[in-house]
Order: sequence, then C-alpha cells, then structure tokens
Amino acid sequence: MKANYLAGVDTATLLDPKSNAWNQPKAETFKLMGTPLGMQPTELIRSSWAKKKIGQVESIKVQAAHNGETIAFRIEWATKAPSMTNGDNSIFPDGAAVALPADARAPVITMGAQGMPINAWYWRANDGGHGRQLSAEGIGTSETLDMEFVKTNGVYENGHWSVVIARALKIESKKPVAQLEVGQDAKFGVAIWDGKNQERGGIKAFTGGAWLDLSLEAGK
Amino acid sequence: MSKRQLAMAMDLNKCIGCQTCTIACKTLWTRDEGMDYMWWNSVNTQPGLGTPRNWENMGGGFKDGVAQAGQLPTKADFGEAWQYNHEEVFYGGKGQNVHLQIQGETPNWGPNWDEDQGGGTYPNSYFFYLPRICNHCTNPACVAACPRKAIEKREEDGIVLINEDRCRGYRFCMEACPYKKIYFNHSKGVSQKCIFCYPRIEQGVANACARQCPGRVRFVGYRDDENGPIYKLVEKWKVAVPLHPEYGTDPNVFYVPPTGPLRFDENGNLDPTSPRIPEDYIRHLFGQPGIEALAIMLEEREKVRKGGKSEVLDILIAYKWSEMFGGFDRDPATIEWDNNGPINKA
Ligand code: SF4
Ligand code: SF4
Repeated sequence: MKANYLAGVDTATLLDPKSNAWNQPKAETFKLMGTPLGMQPTELIRSSWAKKKIGQVESIKVQAAHNGETIAFRIEWATKAPSMTNGDNSIFPDGAAVALPADARAPVITMGAQGMPINAWYWRANDGGHGRQLSAEGIGTSETLDMEFVKTNGVYENGHWSVVIARALKIESKKPVAQLEVGQDAKFGVAIWDGKNQERGGIKAFTGGAWLDLSLEAGK
Repeated sequence: MSKRQLAMAMDLNKCIGCQTCTIACKTLWTRDEGMDYMWWNSVNTQPGLGTPRNWENMGGGFKDGVAQAGQLPTKADFGEAWQYNHEEVFYGGKGQNVHLQIQGETPNWGPNWDEDQGGGTYPNSYFFYLPRICNHCTNPACVAACPRKAIEKREEDGIVLINEDRCRGYRFCMEACPYKKIYFNHSKGVSQKCIFCYPRIEQGVANACARQCPGRVRFVGYRDDENGPIYKLVEKWKVAVPLHPEYGTDPNVFYVPPTGPLRFDENGNLDPTSPRIPEDYIRHLFGQPGIEALAIMLEEREKVRKGGKSEVLDILIAYKWSEMFGGFDRDPATIEWDNNGPINKA
C-alpha cells in the first residue's frame, strides 16, 4: 500500500485519527489471522488456548501517510467491547502494533530470528499516548528499546477503534530499528490484541506470515 | 535446579496470627504506587477461604509435567486496599466525634476476612493460622508459564525473581502459580511478588517476616546446610512438610503441621485417641507427609514428657532466636551504607 506524502501536515495532526488529513490516504482492508497455537512459546499457553479462539479481530482498515519526517499508520477496527484497562486483573488493555523489518531477511511470522531483528511500534489503550518501540529476534524475545520515539493516539467511537501509530522516518539509534526513506519501498505487518479476550503477548491477531508492501510517496 | 536452595520453615503450632510478619513485609517492600493491595506475606485462618479468596480452588500448578493455567485472581479476590478518612479523624479536629470508616463502597471481602472463624463444631471447633509467602519453588510454574523468560530462579540460592524490565504484565505467571502468590501492579503494568528479601539475604540478614516474628515461628536457611534448622526440620526429622505438594511445584516453604488442642468426647471428657483437627484436613493441606509429621511431633513430645530430650523440639522451641536463621543472623543495624549500597558487605 501507499503512504501518501502530506506536505505541510504536522505530526500532531497526523496523530489525530479524526483529522481531515486522513481523508486523502486510501484505506486498505486486511484480513487478520490468529497467531498459530503451535508457535506460542510455553506449554501453558499452548494448552490453555487450545480450545479458545486466538485473534478476535478479523479485519482492519489501514492508511499510511508521512510528512517528509514522520510516518503514521492509521488503523481502524470494529469491536463492541473495547478494553481500556487491566480491569480487575482478568482482562487486558486492547493493543495494536506495526512491525517493520530491521534486517531485510527478518521473517515476520516468528517476530524476527536470531541476528535478523524486527522493529515494532506499539500502542496500548492504557498507555496515555506513550508509544513503545521494541525489537525482537524471535518469539518471546522482544525488548523495549525506548518509550520516546513512537507516538500513538487511539480513539474509540461508534464501536470502532481508530489508532494512529507514528514515528520519525529515520531516528538516531544504535539499536536494531527500521530506517525509512521517502520515495522508497518498505515492508510492514500489523498485530491487534483484543483485551477482553485476554489477548496479550503472542496471543493476538496479525496480518499473517508475509510482510505487506509499503511505498513511501516521494516529495513533490 | 539451582546449585543451592534457600528455604523457610514455619511452625504452625506457634503462629499467633498477629500479622507482624505481614506488616514487616508491607512496610519494607509494598508501599509504592500500585502496591497498595499487595500482601506478599499473608496470614489466614484455616480452615478458611484464604487470600486470595478461595485460592485453593483456582487451579494452576503442574499436571503430568505440564504447567496449567488456573484462574486469574481479581483485585476483589485479594481484597481491595480500603481507603479510610484518616485526614478527617487525625487532622480534621474531629477526633472525638468521627470514627475511622472505610470510604466508598462497603467491602464484602478483604485479605484477612474470615479471621478466627475456622471449622468444626463446639466443643470441638478448631482453627489455626497459616502464613504464606511465595514458595520459591524448585519447579516454579510461574517460570514455566512466562513467554518472555522474565522470571528467573537464581542459580546461587534458588530465589525466584520477576525481572520487571522484561515483564510486560501478561500475567501467565499469575494463572500458573497454584499458590496465587503473584500480584499485578496496575500502575507499573508488571507482576510482582515476594522476593525472599534477597537484598537482605545478600547482606547476611534474614527475611523481615522471619526476624520480626514474635512467635519465633520462622526458620530460614539453605536446604543442604546440615547444621542449619531447615535441613534438620525437613530432611532429618521430617516434621516440616510442604503445603499442597500435589500442585507439583516442589515448594521451598515448609510447615510443621498443627497438632491442635485435645478433643472432647460426648461426655465432655478429653479424648486423646483422635485429634481435634481432622486428619483429613491435615491431609488436604499437606498430604500423607503431614500426618506422618504430626505423628513424629507427638512422639517427641511424649519423649520429653517422660523426661527425655528431643533435638527437634529444642529446635522448634527456638531458645536462641539468632539460631533460627541458618547463619543469616546479621543485625541489619550493623550495615553501613553509602550511595552505592552497603560498604561493609556480609
Ligand atoms: S509459589 Fe508461585 S510464584 Fe512462587 S515460585 Fe512457586 S509458582 Fe512461582
Ligand atoms: S509474625 Fe509470626 S506469629 Fe505473627 S502472624 Fe506472622 S508468622 Fe504468625
């Protein structure tokens, strides 16, 4: 899909999922699948989820845009029962993440592999807009890199979450992060956690085992 | 398995349910934000529902070698941290006419709600206190459950610790722990639990709950220290046994089961032929080893009653307080600190 170049639109505007700036980028719908049971990293998780549906959210609409400095993904999905908190301990906040390869060879299905990291930008409904940047080299290995570069904003309205996840195209970091270039192609994937279904960690819905294509529109 | 294993043994015949241990732990470790409902050490009356409410029926532990997901105990199950009108009573000038009162909704559960209710029927009613901490299990279900390898069992002493930098608050450990000794911190978004006072242990100081206990209930030490109290109570004399061994986690907290007071027969006479605390209940908590531990206790008591000496009873009486701690008997007041930590290390 295409990340439109929205010249002169500041990052704060991009971060508003209800801003008119989002009228322009074309939305694409992606079917999601639950993460395969066999890939869950502990036997407890595999046995306790054997008879439960992993991945309540079945499809999302995604838009992408950049302003030459920051790229933003706007992700929208329907849920009748949003989860904003950890409740009484027994539920989890809804979440969304965009994954990008930090190494061209990194597989998305396993969250990267040793020596082939992926980079994930992460939103949680209860994080007050503090996005989280992670890297991972395989299932269960994700590490928080920082809480400063990724900006997020989620709005729940009329049975829908609209979440924007944004980061500077390039950041200064020695850590394994994705660096994006205007006018070039990139890859990405999306994951959604339904907190009322106790989805957290590897229990999630995602865009599947193949990276999705993204082309960053060049400046005019 | 760790190279060595620290353990605690608690004599339930001596616990008076004073909660000094609970408060020692609370003031030391769980005063930060998000920790107000946490009681890493809890003491409940048995029989009873305990903390969290009905924890013995919440599942978890191992079945055929596989860690099981039990229930996630809720904040209400643990007992919410009630808020009181302290301001008004202590500082509002109304100390004479306003009482301390729980603010907000009237609670219907708390961390020590069924205190002193117990079981049995008069005149043979009975109860005893059961203090609990994390068992720092040899086969910890919490470690097996965590998809992020955020829980570590320390090689040098077997203490089980949650690494809060790796924890992302998924609570699989809370599902897995059959003792329901893990809490979720809603402010930090991480799971937290008893740390066996490892910063004290590293300085040669026994756990706060153990040092503060006025009942001299709690023994501390390495399991393999043949001169220490744990080895003697657990391995040599076999009077201290783990709680719910059938959960399969191989706990490292051991209990000397309570013998309880004598039972009355129908005519109101003391009847020593059967115990007041039903054997089935002891078996429910400790399995057959609990029954056997009680038999050893009664035998040793009989020995002393007849004028003999009993090593195990002498240990349990704890004539010398400092000998309860398996060498971890340093007085914390002797530690000198600078900004980087203790300067005269253990
Ligand atoms: S008692 Fe529970 S939390 Fe503690 S080590 Fe055992 S399984 Fe883990
Ligand atoms: S401080 Fe000792 S006697 Fe008091 S409740 Fe705790 S273990 Fe029992």
